[in-house]
Amino acid sequence: MTDTLDRADIQGIIARGYSSLGHARFTLFACDDQSASRALLEWLLPRITSAARKFSADTAVQVAFTPMGLARLGLPEQAVAGFSLEFLDGMAAPNRSRFLGDVGESAPQDWVWGGLDGPAIDGLILLYASSAELLDERQGELAQQFAASGARPVAVLDTLERQDREPFGFHDGISQPLIRELSKASRTGRPVPAGEFVLGYRNGYRQLTDRPLLPRSADPRKLLPPDPGGSGQADLGRNGTYLVLRQLEQDVDGFWRYVAEATRRPDGSDDRGAQDALAAKLVGRWRSGAPLARAPDRDDPALAEDNDFGYHHGDPLGLACPLGAHIRRANPRDSLDPRPGTDASLQVNSLHRLLRRGRSYGPARASRAPDGASGLYFICLAANLARQFEFVQHTWLNDPTFNGLYDDSDPLVGACQPRGRTFTVPARPVRRRYRGLPQFVRTRGGAYFFLPGISALRYLQRLPASVPSGPRTG
Amino acid sequence: MPYQVGVTIRAEVSPDQLRPVREWLADTGRKGLTGPPFDVAHLRGVHFARFYLLDEVADLDGRLIPASLVFMSEVDAPLRRHLAELIDVAGDGIDQAFAHCAGYPGPRARRRARIAWLRRHLVPASAYYVNTVGRGLDQIRQEAKLRDALEGHLDRRDWAGRPAAEVRQELQDYVASRGDLSWAWQPPPPLPPMFRIREAVHKAAMPLLLLLMLPVLLAVLPFWILALRKSELAKQPEIGRPTQQQMNELEAWEDVETQNPYAVIGFIKPGRLHLLTMRAVQMATSYGARHLFTHGSLAGVKTIHFARWVPLDGWRRMTFVSNYDGAVEAYNDDFINEIWWGLNAVFGSAVGYPPTRWLLWGGAKLEQPFKYTLRDHQVPVPAWYTAYPTLSADNIDNNARIRAGLAGEMSPAQAEQWLSLL
Repeated sequence: MTDTLDRADIQGIIARGYSSLGHARFTLFACDDQSASRALLEWLLPRITSAARKFSADTAVQVAFTPMGLARLGLPEQAVAGFSLEFLDGMAAPNRSRFLGDVGESAPQDWVWGGLDGPAIDGLILLYASSAELLDERQGELAQQFAASGARPVAVLDTLERQDREPFGFHDGISQPLIRELSKASRTGRPVPAGEFVLGYRNGYRQLTDRPLLPRSADPRKLLPPDPGGSGQADLGRNGTYLVLRQLEQDVDGFWRYVAEATRRPDGSDDRGAQDALAAKLVGRWRSGAPLARAPDRDDPALAEDNDFGYHHGDPLGLACPLGAHIRRANPRDSLDPRPGTDASLQVNSLHRLLRRGRSYGPARASRAPDGASGLYFICLAANLARQFEFVQHTWLNDPTFNGLYDDSDPLVGACQPRGRTFTVPARPVRRRYRGLPQFVRTRGGAYFFLPGISALRYLQRLPASVPSGPRTG
Repeated sequence: MPYQVGVTIRAEVSPDQLRPVREWLADTGRKGLTGPPFDVAHLRGVHFARFYLLDEVADLDGRLIPASLVFMSEVDAPLRRHLAELIDVAGDGIDQAFAHCAGYPGPRARRRARIAWLRRHLVPASAYYVNTVGRGLDQIRQEAKLRDALEGHLDRRDWAGRPAAEVRQELQDYVASRGDLSWAWQPPPPLPPMFRIREAVHKAAMPLLLLLMLPVLLAVLPFWILALRKSELAKQPEIGRPTQQQMNELEAWEDVETQNPYAVIGFIKPGRLHLLTMRAVQMATSYGARHLFTHGSLAGVKTIHFARWVPLDGWRRMTFVSNYDGAVEAYNDDFINEIWWGLNAVFGSAVGYPPTRWLLWGGAKLEQPFKYTLRDHQVPVPAWYTAYPTLSADNIDNNARIRAGLAGEMSPAQAEQWLSLL
């Protein structure tokens, strides 16, 4: 049972991470009124890159909206209300912050953007280019268009040229879910149905994830695809998805300083080997990317891209890859109930996958300049924010009692909270505990967006002019 | 080793007290039940406790069911002691709470009158699940302390290269040096003989009774199944999504500690068929919880500390309450992926539940309608107490295994395995 994806109607970022376009800039924007936001979208529409099969362009553009941005385009309140409750509530709402671990130093009141008191955000434009010059050129055009249409940037997030290492120095982005409808048959791994990442297709429960459906009368020009569920309504969600953007600041110096101090020899000298080993235990992979589950004792660059492994049969206790290691939490594979090590465990695991599309930021690495923070503009796509992104963040990454642990949040990205700052490395004869782990990653901004399908963008762009009552807030 | 009792005290809120009781609940929720006037931590054997409000509602025939205040606790037996301590220790709090209810004797009344009032307002559960029957609060606390002591001792030294048996011996020596841990050498005392006899008799008697009634049941069964299927095929109302305000009210009290309190309530579908189905399923559930799922897992779900089903208003409504680990989303996913059949059997006779097929299928497998309807029927629990806010059910079980392996001889391999619990 495989759906055929309408690739031409899907924004390209769902199908690809634009690895050939090394340069990217993300612009958070707000518009003065409906006409501004319509004008901006009109300009953007012909430029939006789709997921159509062949991609060889040297730039790409994607656009996504917050609930406020959708309302600003003239989408009536009852239609906006059809989106998911998490999206409508917003990432910075107090209950969500507690749930996501955005407290203490990560609390939204200190965010650079996206906080409750900060300027409102209507949407997000993701711009990719094959060279820095081309990116500047396109960004310049965008800035002109902003000025012309009455839109303004709230924040412009500049990224580092793409490479396969994140700022701590680890090979990253290895494990991505394979979308069944997009993956090539030769790839190994367990494919996930497209509906987990694109609305309007069957998800992991073989059902259609909720999305806004509009009465046919709301779409007189028949711009929207029909509800594949057969209700006869117009499907505003189909071929779209939710996009999570978070600015995660990484304390790179703090991380390596901690690792150095925790592994110092009794005589006070550095132990490079032990540093690499502890860092690998924290992450679950060596710097090359080789997974501890496969290379328990030393780095093995030949296994750098290895992603075809489980945990339960070879390493149930975490002697190779600790139960609390970052990658064993972010994707526990076959570690967890029901029946670890079986297909049932993998099946449940596959209901909590994220499609990651983030890019790093910070001072250019060649310069080694100590100034300026670095980190990750974490982007993930998911059809169900509650079951995918929020679940992973809370139940797998932040929960100190994850998988039988007692006081261990994710050692890299776990919540800023009083509990959970222990890291346990299982070993023979006994485990080693690292207590009072510093916070290596802080949330500095974040928001939920809806990344519409291209027909839906066209529909949004042509919504009738609304009574200027102002958008709903919150 | 005490067995655990689930206490439900429910009383009608006087009509003029609705607003004050809401304010009192929100205020008590913010302050918590640990300190005065409740001092729940000073009541013996209380694992969990809660107060919440059931709003006024019209039943399916339009009859009004007045609002009621509910107190619940999961507590080590005996019940008599608990009820007395609710007045003797938490009396000021209990007086405050039930002052909102009609007929509460009040602080000036004699102790015995107040206890008798509480007793009169007890509501029995139709099924009651305890994660591990007989594991009392003292045992949970002691075993957590033992684990902390052992972990602390391990942290003080580098053990690399030492044989497991030797490390275990050193840990044993350390525990022996600690007078406050002397209890740890003995296994926890057994459950009281009377309780064990009662449970054994019940365990044997129910199947016997079933066997005796088998001819009748077999004769009735086809008609019951057909009638049930017919009702399942009838048109059922659409399941709406909870509002954002409902979600915010629920979320405001969630995900503060390792566990969360859970409470859903709904009407049983009208007619004798559904009432009969509900009662039969409750009998089966109760049997399963009492005799089959008594050690760490409710049919595969290991994150529930306590759960119970309480029929209300003369079996017009059913409420399910629990104390469970982690977030509600994870809880619901466990329901859908592991005990969907049980959820369907239990809730299939409730109004607003996603349509089932042959009682066990469908229902919970419809992910979003199922999650929506649970949220829609969920009641916020503002005032809640947990005696062990940092311990998951998994942690508690692991602690018990650490204690169980402390004394006695072990092979090197066994010692290695035991050390991996730490």
